Amino acid sequence: MNPFVRFLTSSIGRKYVMAITGLSLTGFLLVHMAGNLTLYAGNKAFNDYAHVLESNPLLPVAEAGLLGLFVVHIGLAIVLIRANRSARKEEYKSRLGMGAKTVASTTMWITGPILLVFLVIHIWDFRIKKELVEEYDLALMVVERLRSPIGFSIYVASIAAVGFHMWHAFQSAFQTLGVAHPRYRALIKNTGRLVTVLLVAGFGGIPFYLFFTG
Amino acid sequence: MDERWSRHKFDLKLVNPANRRKFDVIVVGTGLAGGAAAATLAEMGYNVKAFCIHDSPRRAHSIAAQGGINAAKNYKGDGDSVHRLFYDTVKGGDYRSRESNVHRLAEVSVDIIDQCVAQGVPFAREYGGLLDNRSFGGAQVARTFYARGQTGQQLLLGAYGAMNRMIQAGKIEMYTKREMVDLVQVDGVARGIITRNLTTGEYERHAAHTVLLCTGGYGNVFFLSTNAKNSNVTAAWRAHKRGAFFANPCYTQIHPTCIPRSGDYQSKLTLMSESLRNDGRVWVPAQKGDQRPPSDIPEGERDYYLERKYPSFGNLVPRDVASRNAKTVCDEGLGVGPTGEAVYLDFGDAIRRDGKKAIEARYGNLFEMYERITGDNPYEVPMRIYPAVHYTMGGLWVDYNLESTIPGLFVLGEANFSDHGANRLGASALMQGLADGYFVIPATIASHLAGRSLQAVTTEHEAFAEAEASARAHADKLMSINGSRSVDAFHRELGNIVWNDCGMERNADGLRSGMDRIRTLRDEFWQDVKVLGDPATVNQDLEKAGRVADFFEFAEAMFNDALVRDESCGGHFRAEHQTEEGEAKRDDEHFAHVTAWEHTEAGKLPVEHREPLAFEEVKLTTRSYK
Amino acid sequence: MIQKANHGDMRIVLEVWRQSATGAPGAFEEYEVMANEHMSFLEMLDVLNEQLVEAGKEPVVFEHDCREGICGSCALTINGQPHGPRSRTTVCQLHMREFEGGARIRVEPWRANAFPVVKDLQVDRSAFDRIQRAGGYVSVNTGAAPDAHAIPVKKENADMAFDAAACIGCGACVAACPNASAMLFTSAKVSQFTLLPQGQPERERRVVAMVDTMDGEGFGNCTNHYECEAACPKGISVTNIARMNREYARATLKQRGN
Ligand SMILES: Cc1cc2nc3c(=O)[nH]c(=O)nc-3n(C[C@H](O)[C@H](O)[C@H](O)COP(=O)(O)OP(=O)(O)OC[C@H]3O[C@@H](n4cnc5c(N)ncnc54)[C@H](O)[C@@H]3O)c2cc1C
Ligand code: HEM
Ligand code: HEM
Ligand code: SF4
Ligand code: F3S
Ligand code: FES
Repeated sequence: MNPFVRFLTSSIGRKYVMAITGLSLTGFLLVHMAGNLTLYAGNKAFNDYAHVLESNPLLPVAEAGLLGLFVVHIGLAIVLIRANRSARKEEYKSRLGMGAKTVASTTMWITGPILLVFLVIHIWDFRIKKELVEEYDLALMVVERLRSPIGFSIYVASIAAVGFHMWHAFQSAFQTLGVAHPRYRALIKNTGRLVTVLLVAGFGGIPFYLFFTG
Repeated sequence: MDERWSRHKFDLKLVNPANRRKFDVIVVGTGLAGGAAAATLAEMGYNVKAFCIHDSPRRAHSIAAQGGINAAKNYKGDGDSVHRLFYDTVKGGDYRSRESNVHRLAEVSVDIIDQCVAQGVPFAREYGGLLDNRSFGGAQVARTFYARGQTGQQLLLGAYGAMNRMIQAGKIEMYTKREMVDLVQVDGVARGIITRNLTTGEYERHAAHTVLLCTGGYGNVFFLSTNAKNSNVTAAWRAHKRGAFFANPCYTQIHPTCIPRSGDYQSKLTLMSESLRNDGRVWVPAQKGDQRPPSDIPEGERDYYLERKYPSFGNLVPRDVASRNAKTVCDEGLGVGPTGEAVYLDFGDAIRRDGKKAIEARYGNLFEMYERITGDNPYEVPMRIYPAVHYTMGGLWVDYNLESTIPGLFVLGEANFSDHGANRLGASALMQGLADGYFVIPATIASHLAGRSLQAVTTEHEAFAEAEASARAHADKLMSINGSRSVDAFHRELGNIVWNDCGMERNADGLRSGMDRIRTLRDEFWQDVKVLGDPATVNQDLEKAGRVADFFEFAEAMFNDALVRDESCGGHFRAEHQTEEGEAKRDDEHFAHVTAWEHTEAGKLPVEHREPLAFEEVKLTTRSYK
Repeated sequence: MIQKANHGDMRIVLEVWRQSATGAPGAFEEYEVMANEHMSFLEMLDVLNEQLVEAGKEPVVFEHDCREGICGSCALTINGQPHGPRSRTTVCQLHMREFEGGARIRVEPWRANAFPVVKDLQVDRSAFDRIQRAGGYVSVNTGAAPDAHAIPVKKENADMAFDAAACIGCGACVAACPNASAMLFTSAKVSQFTLLPQGQPERERRVVAMVDTMDGEGFGNCTNHYECEAACPKGISVTNIARMNREYARATLKQRGN
C-alpha cells in the first residue's frame, strides 16, 4: 500500500490529521477572536475591520480552506468516536476511573457536536444572512443577536464548549503529533491553558459586554 | 578441559541445513531455557513446536529473577576468566557437579552477554556507554550483568522476542495454555507428548523427532517458595515415570532474605535481593520471649549472631550458612514477629552512617516493595526476614549432550540437574538456562537427529493412544474422588512436612518419619480431595490437583535421596554430618557422585544409579567463612 | 512497631463477576469473606475459593502466577480500577490494608473487545503477543552477535529504554483506557528499540508493523486521557505514546522517500 494512504487510514495517521486540523482551527479562532475585539472600539471599528476582510480577494479561498478544515476535522471525529465507542462492547459495571482523565477529555464527543450545531447557527447568523440582503450593518447584526436572550445564551454556552474542547485539545494535539518530550510537557500544557483562557475571555467578554451594556 | 567443548562440537555429527526442515522439534516450556532453544533451533531451520502453561511465553517463571547473570567477560579487569568462573562454580556447588559441564557453561557465558546485548536487552550501563557489572553473592570479582532488579525479565523478553520473530516467520508454532501431561515414546525414543489444553480441557497429541523439556524447577513441592504459583514438577516427573532418571532431588537452595510468612493464608514468599545484606545487620533479641519493639531493645541486648559467629564474613556469609543460622536462632525461640519465624535485618546503623538518601539510592525500590507487602517502613523499623526455598539444583539426569536416559529426550534449564552441584551460586541459573538454550542444545541435538535413524511417526501411533488414555484416566480419577478437602489444603500440609523434615536441615529420623507421613497424606489425598467444576473448561483446581499428585510422589523420592545421601554438602545439610563449628561436612570418599534414580513402579522405591564425579582441575577443599 | 498477631481481621463483601465462557452471559455474585489486612488481594481470593470449594461451589477463575508484580498475569478491575487503588502496584501486590473493614468490593475482569473474557475473571490477552510478533524484537540470529562492548549506548538512552522495557504486558492500560486503546503497551516496546542503537536497522519497519497489527486487533484509538499511565503498575509514561506517534509519521515519510 502507498505509505501515505496507509498512514491516513491508520489510527495514528487519522489522529495526526485531527490534530493538524484542530490546531489550524485554533489558529483561526485566535485571529477571529482578536478581530472581534474591535467591537469594543465601537460598531464602526468592527465594520471597518470586516470590510477589510471582505474586500480581500483571497477571502473565498481562505473560506474554502476553513470549510475543508472543519469538514475533515469533524468527519474524522465521527469516525474516531464511533471506533472508540465500539472497542468495549461489554461495558464495565462499575465506574471506570484512575483519576487522570478530565471533564474536558471525556466530553470531547459532546463539546465537538455542540460546536458543530453552533457553527451552523453562527454561519447562518453572520455569514449567510448578509448574503440574502442588499444592505447590512454587520456590527448591528452582531449586537442585536447577542442582546437577545436566546442569542446570548447560545453564544455563551458555545463559548463555554470551546473552552472545554480546547482545554483538552491543545496539549492533546501536541501529544498526538509527538511533541511531548518530558521537558516540554508542562510548557505545552500551560500554553494550552493560556490559549483556552484567552479564547474564552476574548470571545466570552463580547456577549456579556453587549448584553449587560445594552 | 579447556578444549573439551570445542572438540566435542567438532566431533558431533551435523545436520545439513537443507535437512533441518525435515525435523520436528518439540520444546516444552518457554522460559529462558526453552525460549532460547526454540528461537535458536527455528533460526537454524528446524520446525519447532513450543508449549507453555502460561497465556504467553513472556510470563514464564524466569521473569522473576532479580539479581543478575554471570559471565566471564572480565570487563572490569579484576582478573576474572573462564577458568575462574568455572572454578568458583564448581567450588560453590560444593564439588558435586560435573567439571566438564561447568567448564562449558563458563565458556559460553561470554557469548550469552553478546547475544543478549545484540537483542536489545537493556543491561545497566556506565556513563561511558559501556556495560556495568557488580559483584554478587559474595563473588570476589564483579562479573554479574544486571538490568536494575529485573534481569530475568529483560533476558526473558529478549528470548521471547527472538521466539516471536520465528513465530512470525512460521518456523515456530506456539501453543500457549498447554500442559504436558505425558511423554510418548516409540521404540524407546521420545517422539511426542500429550498436552491438556488448559482452556478447553481437550487432550492433544503432538509428534516430533525429539522432545526438549525446559519446564523449570520443583521448588513448589514446599508449597511456600519464591517460585511462581504455577511452577511444577509435572512434566519432569511424568517423563521420569516413563524412564528418565531423576538426579539429586534432595538438592534445594534456601535463600536467606525473604519476607516472612504473615499468617496461615500465605500463598507464596517474596525474595528480597541479597544485596541488602551489604548494609543491613542481622540480629535477634538476646533474651527469649523479648516482646519489646526492636527500637526499645538496647544494643547490649541484641545478638548480631552472624557477626558474632563469623567475624570475617559477618552478614555476608553464603546463602546456606545465613539461612541455617536464622533457622537455628528461631528454633531456639529467639525469632521475632507474629509467627516467631523471622529475624531482623536492620538498616539503622547504615542510615546513621551514610544517610537516608544514600540508602534510598541503593535500595529504594526494595524498601518500597517491602513496605507494600508488610505495611512497615524499613527506614524506621528493621525489616523482618526469613529464609525461603528458592531454587532446585536436582532435576532430570542428563549427559554432556543434555540428553536424558530416554533417547531423544533432552532436558534444559532448571529442570535438569547438571551444573550447580549441591548449591547454586547467585546469578548462575540465568546463565545456565541461556547457555543450554542458545548454545549447547543447538549443537548437541544433532547427536540424536543425525546419529539415529528415526522412522516417521504420526499421532495415530498406538503409543499416543496409550499415553493419552493414561493421562485422561489420571485426571478423571481426580475429578471423581469428590472428597472433602481442597487441593490447596493438601498441598499446604505436604509443604509443611517437606519444609520441616527436608528443608534447611535434615536428619535420618526426620526423613524416615516424614516419608511415612507423606505416604499417609498421599493416600488421604487420593481418597479425600475435592476437585469441582467441569474438566472441559478452564479448571484451575484440576490443574493444581494433577500437579500436587505429582508433588506427592516426587516428595517421597526427594526424602529418599536425602536419606541415602548420608553426608552434608551445599544445600543438603544432614545434621548428623557437621563440623564442630556447625558447618556442612562432606564425605568425598563415599559421596562424590551424582545419584540418579530410576523409577520402578508406583509405591515402590526407585532404583539407585551412581555417576562418579572425577575432579581433574579443581582441588577439593572445605569451605570456611570464619 | 506494633505486633499485629491475629489482629487485623476484616470482613469484606465481594461482588465477583462470574461468567462460564466467552460470549456467555455473566453476572455478579455476592460473597462474604473474612480477610486479614496482611493478606494480599489474591490471598483473599484464595480464601474465598477455599470457602466456595467447601460449600461445593466452583471456585472463581483468575489469572496469577508470580505474585510479586513481574509476570503480568494478574488482571482484576477493583471498583472500576484496574489493579486496584494503589498506584504502581499490581493486584497481586495489593494488600487488604488498603481497604476498610466491612468494605464492599466489586471485582470485574479487564473489559475490551480485544480481550474477550475466557472464564470469570480471566481474559484472553493473546492480541498483545500478536502485536509483539509483528516486530517487537531485533532480528539477530544466535551466535551472530558482535562483542557486547562493540555497541556503546549512552547511559541516558539506556535508562530511558529500560523504563520503557519494564512493561509486564498485563493489559491494565487497555483495561483502564476509556477507549480500550493499546497504545501504551505498544509504544513501550517501540520506544525501547527506538532508543537503542540495536533497534535502528528495523526502526521504521517495526513501528509500522506493530501499529498496523495493533489497529487490526480491535483496540480503540488513543485520545490522550492518560488513564493508562495512571493504571500502569510499572509507571510506563505516556511520553512513549508521543514517541511512537512521531516514529510512525517519520517511518511513513522515510518509506515514502525510499
Ligand atoms: C525469585 C527468584 C529470583 C531469582 N533470581 C535469580 C538471579 O538473580 N539470577 C539467576 O541466575 N537466577 C535467579 N533465579 C533462578 C532462575 O530464575 C531460574 O532458575 C530460571 O529462570 C529457570 O529457567 P527455566 O527456563 O529453566 O524455567 P522457567 O522459567 O521456570 O520456565 C518453565 C517453563 O515451562 C513451562 N511449563 C512448566 N510446566 C509445564 C508443563 N507441565 N507443560 C508445559 N509447559 C510447562 C512454563 O510455562 C514455562 O514456560 C531466581 C529464581 C527466583 C524464584
Ligand atoms: C471550533 C472548532 C474546533 C476546534 C478549534 C477544534 C480543535 C481541536 C483540537 C486541537 C483537537 C485535538 C486533536 C488531537 O488531540 O490530536 C480536537 C480534537 C477533537 N475534536 Fe475538535 N475542534 C473543533 C471543532 C470540533 C467539532 C465541531 C467537533 C465535532 C464533532 C470536534 C470533535 C473533536 C473530537 C472528537 C476530537 C478528538 C478528541 C481527542 O483527540 O481528544 N471538534 N479538536
Ligand atoms: C462572540 C463571539 C463571536 C462573534 C461576535 C463572531 C462574529 C462573527 C462574524 C461577524 C462573522 C462573519 C464574518 C464575515 O463574514 O465577515 C463570523 C464568522 C465566523 N465565525 Fe464567528 N464569532 C464569534 C464566535 C465564534 C466562535 C466561538 C466560532 C467557532 C467555534 C466562530 C466561527 C466562525 C466561523 C467559522 C466563521 C465563518 C468565517 C468565514 O466564512 O469567513 N465564531 N463570526
Ligand atoms: S504498559 Fe503498563 S499497564 Fe500496559 S501492559 Fe505494560 S505494564 Fe501493563
Ligand atoms: S488512557 Fe487511552 S486514550 Fe490514550 S493516553 Fe492512555 S491510551
Ligand atoms: S501474579 Fe505476576 S504480576 Fe501479579
